[in-house]
Amino acid sequence: MNTNSNVYTVIYTAIVVVIVAAVLAFVAMKLGPAQDANAKAETLRQMMSAAKIRSTEELYATKNADILQLYADNIEEAYTIDLEGNKTAELGISKDNIELVSKLKPQNKAIKAGEGATLPVYIFKSGIAVIPIYGAGLWGPVWGYIAFEPDCHTIAGAFFDHESETPGLGAKIKDEPWFREKFAGKTVEWGDEPAFRLEKNAEAQGGTNAVDAITGATMTSKGLNEALNTWFNAYQKHFGLGAFFNMLEQHAIQTTPNAEEE
Amino acid sequence: MEYISLFVKSIFVDNMIFAYFLGMCSYLAVSKNVKTANGLGLAVIFVLLCTLPLNWILNTFVLQPGALKWLGPQFESVDLSFLSFIVFIAVIAAFVQLVEMIVEKYLPSLYSSLGIYLPLIAVNCAILGGSLFMQQRDFTGIGESAVYALGSGIGWYLAIVALAAIREKMSYSNVPKPLKGIGITFITVGLMGMAFMIFMGIQL
Amino acid sequence: MAQKLKETILNPILKGNPITVLVLGICSALAVTVQLKGALVMALSVIAVTGLSSLVCSLLRNTIPNRVRIIVQLVVVAMMVILVDQILKAGEATYAIDKQLSVYIGLIITNCIVMGRIEAFALGNKPIPSLLDGLANGVGYGLILVVVAFFRELLGSGTLFGFQVLPASYVPNNLVILPPFALILLGCIIWVHRAFDKDLQEN
Repeated sequence: MNTNSNVYTVIYTAIVVVIVAAVLAFVAMKLGPAQDANAKAETLRQMMSAAKIRSTEELYATKNADILQLYADNIEEAYTIDLEGNKTAELGISKDNIELVSKLKPQNKAIKAGEGATLPVYIFKSGIAVIPIYGAGLWGPVWGYIAFEPDCHTIAGAFFDHESETPGLGAKIKDEPWFREKFAGKTVEWGDEPAFRLEKNAEAQGGTNAVDAITGATMTSKGLNEALNTWFNAYQKHFGLGAFFNMLEQHAIQTTPNAEEE
Repeated sequence: MEYISLFVKSIFVDNMIFAYFLGMCSYLAVSKNVKTANGLGLAVIFVLLCTLPLNWILNTFVLQPGALKWLGPQFESVDLSFLSFIVFIAVIAAFVQLVEMIVEKYLPSLYSSLGIYLPLIAVNCAILGGSLFMQQRDFTGIGESAVYALGSGIGWYLAIVALAAIREKMSYSNVPKPLKGIGITFITVGLMGMAFMIFMGIQL
Repeated sequence: MAQKLKETILNPILKGNPITVLVLGICSALAVTVQLKGALVMALSVIAVTGLSSLVCSLLRNTIPNRVRIIVQLVVVAMMVILVDQILKAGEATYAIDKQLSVYIGLIITNCIVMGRIEAFALGNKPIPSLLDGLANGVGYGLILVVVAFFRELLGSGTLFGFQVLPASYVPNNLVILPPFALILLGCIIWVHRAFDKDLQEN
């Protein structure tokens, strides 16, 4: 058979396309649910690590089914809000209603467009509220979860992830515990421009809403900083002053006089 | 004008070679003289300009989550993004094959001097990288993707012709014998890379 | 016959090294050599992918029409890598490994070494020699990666494989962790290599 004839070329190409498409589609279809389950469990691990439900090591040593149960045991409520800070829908505390990371990208777009965003808020029984953040790193997206103390002002914990940042540089946002530990105890100055500073030498410049950028990972840090501020600004109307008092009422938490001065 | 700032940014700030270090293999190997560098650079611009907008169309209307809703509302939840890599690569490979056939027929001397690096344009990380960046950065139209493609290609072209010019001049210098050729080229590119870091992070 | 096989295996390690002699696989050599761990993961992946794709393309070599040669090769490589990625993503135990590898997946598919060896060797040789050639080139590539990563991690962070090796008073050199330094380091490796092997010196 003449392997260079037109007919052969066309038939061969068609066969290759069909085989490859069929194999990949079949694999994606069969493995889709398992992959989604893994992705969901991963999201929950990261959220609960940020919310300090358990330590990161423990969460990553726990099996998927147990993670789902742990989440169900600890979640108080979950809902979505719009950019005006108003609740739009209850997500329910079912372990099926987790916003996967793939949902964050269109929300990011909607935030930047200034309309149409439905942003999730997860509140755990301990009073800690968790929100996602998402943005563009150097090579691909970066995202994460920020957990707030019941005062909705102080960060309780954070967890960051990325798709393809450089291992040893940008990837440190996920791989190095010391980076995310830095966020615990910091504050978010709702309404300020910027609400948070993840920049070079930010900590030396003072202020409790500052964390130093990672050396050698300037672009990743910049991307993460932008993600943090974009999403903090999006949540501002919900977590700002008014919502703060609502939160107090709902959880009947005793406040100190200092906190009320906000 | 947004197109102009995107264009300038993709040549200098987002330079494929010096900011992202993509497309290194052919960059280092084909920069021996300005003539072949010119040929390869133009081929890269051509392939980028053809494939990036086409990949944008495919991404917007076929691949990204919810892209298939023009077929009917029941297709909105279909997410074909796992096919992105293979679709982009297939498009790029098709155009590279086309370029190879054209160059072989009409520019045989260029064909023989490029050697294996002509088909290697298909795996040139810069070209695939361009399409992948396009996918992440959400360009709003085919115009923006074309401008980005042209700018990236020109940035790569400038980088390779600049290096070729330096290498041509360096062939007259007293480089130590073990370093001659590819060795000193690596060091030169390293220094050029350090110089280009001044563009990093410039907001346009 | 045995001599030829021996040559196929040993050549890519030094004399025909894909990075320092053939100038292939540079992009990844710059990106993943910040840490030794990353360099090893990448090296093992490239060894596996280059070996397997050379094998598959060599098996298909008499059937591929010349006009669509490049596309078919690339699609074969891409499909294999994507399949492995999808399978790893689905397993509960392997999900974490896949998250680590997914950073490299793009770099593996477009690694010039894979395509370069298919074009230069597998398309014209029998399957077993092609498999060996692919594996050997992967090993040659891995060798250089490990050397570069050794210096970059040691001088850039004071650690090796994450373990603090240099005393804590060592101020990490920040230039070393940036890609331009990897290029300069590669230039020096070539310098040393060619000082010993005069055949490789250019005129």
